Amino acid sequence: MLDILLPILIAAALALAAIGAARRVRLWRQGRPARVDLLKGLAAMPRRYLVDLHHVVARDKVMSNTHVATAGGFVAAAVLMILVHGLGLAEGVLGWLLLLASATMFVGSLFVARRRLNPPARLSRGPWMRLPKSLMAFSLSVFVITLPSVGLLPEGLLAGAGGVILTLLLALLVTWGLAEMLVGMGWGGPMKHAFAGALHLAFHRRPERFSTRRGGEGRSTGLKALNLEDPEAPLGVEKPADFTWNQLLGFDACVQCGRCEAVCPAFAAGQPLNPKKLIQDMVVGLAGGSDAGYAGSPYPDRPVGEHHGSPHGPIVAREGKALVDAETLWSCTTCRACVEECPMMIEHVDAIVDMRRFLTLEHGQTPGKGAEVLDNLIATDNPGGFDPGARMHWAADLELPLMSQRGEADVLLWLGDGAYDMRNQRTLRALIKVLRAAGVDFAVLGDEERDGGDVARRLGDEATFQSLARRNIATLSKYRFDRIITCDPHSFHVLGNEYGELGGDYDVFHHSTFIAELYDAGRLTFRAWKGGRVTYHDPCYLGRYNGEFEAPRNVLKALGIEVAEMQRSGFRSRCCGGGGGAPITDVPGKQRIPDMRMGDVQETGADLVAVGCPQCTAMLEGVVDSDAEVRDIAELVADALVDSTPSSTPGPASTRQPLAEEVA
Amino acid sequence: MQPDTTMTPALEVTVLVSIGRHPVTGRARRADQDARGVELARSLADAEVSLLHAGELAEASEPALRGYLGMGFSELSLLEQPEGADVLPALAETLDAAMPQLVITGERAERGEGSGLLPYLLAERLGWPLVSGLAAVESVENGVATLLQALPRGQRRRLKVRLPAIVTVDGAAPAPRQSAYGPARRGTFETIAGPVSRDEAWAEWQVQPARKRPKRLKIVKAASARDRFKAAAAKAEGGGGQVLTDVTPEQGAEAILKLLREEEVLR
Repeated sequence: MLDILLPILIAAALALAAIGAARRVRLWRQGRPARVDLLKGLAAMPRRYLVDLHHVVARDKVMSNTHVATAGGFVAAAVLMILVHGLGLAEGVLGWLLLLASATMFVGSLFVARRRLNPPARLSRGPWMRLPKSLMAFSLSVFVITLPSVGLLPEGLLAGAGGVILTLLLALLVTWGLAEMLVGMGWGGPMKHAFAGALHLAFHRRPERFSTRRGGEGRSTGLKALNLEDPEAPLGVEKPADFTWNQLLGFDACVQCGRCEAVCPAFAAGQPLNPKKLIQDMVVGLAGGSDAGYAGSPYPDRPVGEHHGSPHGPIVAREGKALVDAETLWSCTTCRACVEECPMMIEHVDAIVDMRRFLTLEHGQTPGKGAEVLDNLIATDNPGGFDPGARMHWAADLELPLMSQRGEADVLLWLGDGAYDMRNQRTLRALIKVLRAAGVDFAVLGDEERDGGDVARRLGDEATFQSLARRNIATLSKYRFDRIITCDPHSFHVLGNEYGELGGDYDVFHHSTFIAELYDAGRLTFRAWKGGRVTYHDPCYLGRYNGEFEAPRNVLKALGIEVAEMQRSGFRSRCCGGGGGAPITDVPGKQRIPDMRMGDVQETGADLVAVGCPQCTAMLEGVVDSDAEVRDIAELVADALVDSTPSSTPGPASTRQPLAEEVA
Repeated sequence: MQPDTTMTPALEVTVLVSIGRHPVTGRARRADQDARGVELARSLADAEVSLLHAGELAEASEPALRGYLGMGFSELSLLEQPEGADVLPALAETLDAAMPQLVITGERAERGEGSGLLPYLLAERLGWPLVSGLAAVESVENGVATLLQALPRGQRRRLKVRLPAIVTVDGAAPAPRQSAYGPARRGTFETIAGPVSRDEAWAEWQVQPARKRPKRLKIVKAASARDRFKAAAAKAEGGGGQVLTDVTPEQGAEAILKLLREEEVLR
């Protein structure tokens, strides 16, 4: 009887899955068009899955092996099952392979079940709790019905009264398995992630973030520019259907593993953001409905079930509730920890900024001090509203060489808005001392420099960002220099990764990278470190955004410092809370993000935390009752300098510019 | 963005907007007081708000005017006046023809003459009442508006005035909302032709940066810490003054003349 039933069941499941898939595709296609190379993407998909995605999943070895066994077993079993039971090709090796595949899948599903016994808070429950049972139902039933096909069990077993019951039971299990594993893919069950995920990898909006056969880290972190030339082009995302179709597809790929939730600083601080819930809300939006079915951790202090949306309804209501509250979007520090952790390569930060763009550009609803900061940027080119002519007051005694007088230099030193901040001025002075000690030929833009536009862009004001960027690019194009050095990772990021789209391509380096290079070239000599224990805080915009984890540590090593690493460091570094305009919008939570970070510092027992970012310095130094001192790497280097080395090691620059002795 | 006008006849409000000047960089912007006037108008229920600017649309000034549109307007009426013209006759004629019930304006322009006299001259020409230093419009019923006027040291005075009227706002009015780029970019300028009267005197003037005016010293005779605090917190010009009610125009004029003599404005 199963011989007749199985092909029918398989054919019906495939047909239903195809219908569901078509419906799902139609949901995604509500999104705006996006330029995607479909064929190239599909061709690259296996590599993206097996290399890049696996690389992320493999950070959790047990889960990675579990997934390899379960998913690998399932894919093999499903294909073989169609051949063996659907088309009746049981002869030879195929049946045995099917046994092997379903057995592997069964072993994997046991591990999935073990994980679901007492799942961590970050995992979603709901339908996901039945997945291990469904996996077992599928693998076990396929295994058993294949046994007779290869002759391991007599065909007559399923005859007779007991046989009928066994047959019915097997048929039921197979139906359950097929329904969950194949039909559920298109109809929105947990297995949707396999279907949507595979296509998401193929049609990802940042194809450049994947590695290629030629190697390469594959880092793509710059936000994509809005088209402001076309008055018809929408400004940001108002409704789910305003996302591009491949963004919608990406949301649908979410497996609700909650790795993003576990690393999100805003979630940990009790601010109303949970990246996983946000992505699930977008899924609710694209399909229409309420978030009542969501079975994971909610946004802190926001009960589930009160929000609802539709593909063409607003995501954030001007007043009242819609799909997401505005505070949720403004809680994000754009630290990219979620994106870095996401095994499905979902781009949370892009989506958040897209929605912020609409709130700022169309509603004019940038919360907190946002409107004031943006007005200042428009009127004075700096977020503090200071006189642009006062930008160099801090350096009145340093006689810094100005590009407007020199016209060219090896190095253009980008000061950033920290030039107005008395704390950061100490860092800048230290950096200049280091550059002069190494005999670097550098110059600054002086009053011609403007804010890079980082804050404006993260606050969603793309118009002000582009205005600042274009004027900065015009200024920079007047001068000749080999590279830009800056001690502000946010300036580093916009200059290096986001100006390119607007026509400004520069070689930008963080000062720690440059100092490491100078030290390696023998142009700097340091006294031995005599201080206490030191830890290092990776700025998000230096580390995760630009992949620079080594140079700051090399500099600290050169200083004779052995870094006592925090538990969350490197690509897993925890944000200081200063990015993305978060200190400006200032969404209240239960605790402050910098307090938590200084807690991390304290755990290492460090007396001093080395940083490389003016934002991080300000945030971490603002923590009261902290034992650890906060110092920029440039300050540590300047303090450890041993004089007179540059003359003994002639570098190319030191011959051109003797030394700035006359001002020292 | 106009509120619907189906039920009750909408209150027609015109806000006079000028091009401001940022105090630090001198860049053109929404004038602060005018923007507060727009915000006040937007907060009125059932009001049909229109914006009116007398001047010309230049490349430098357009972003400033669009700044007002960004507060949620689809159009701004542009009463075309060349640089250096006296906008008073044209404004008076336009308002007389349009007959709005309420005209809101800032106390003083941030560039140009900036004498702060325009609302008064306009009220004189139109024969409308004028209320200065408004903090809020509380209600409008049967052609009578209940207004809240801001006085020094946070004091408020409730006034009733028959419409049409001109009101001016200063820093006491609610802060303007953020100007959004989208509506600012989409908004259009509807140009109106008006009579142009050349300002002969203006043509002869020389414009130079203003010097800081000397502040009137406060004579603090404080006996206690509380008095000193009160003196420090008080506005310098908030000390004297008197409110005359139920007086004849002659008595009022007499009092004003006396004050002007005291202050040595008239000798």
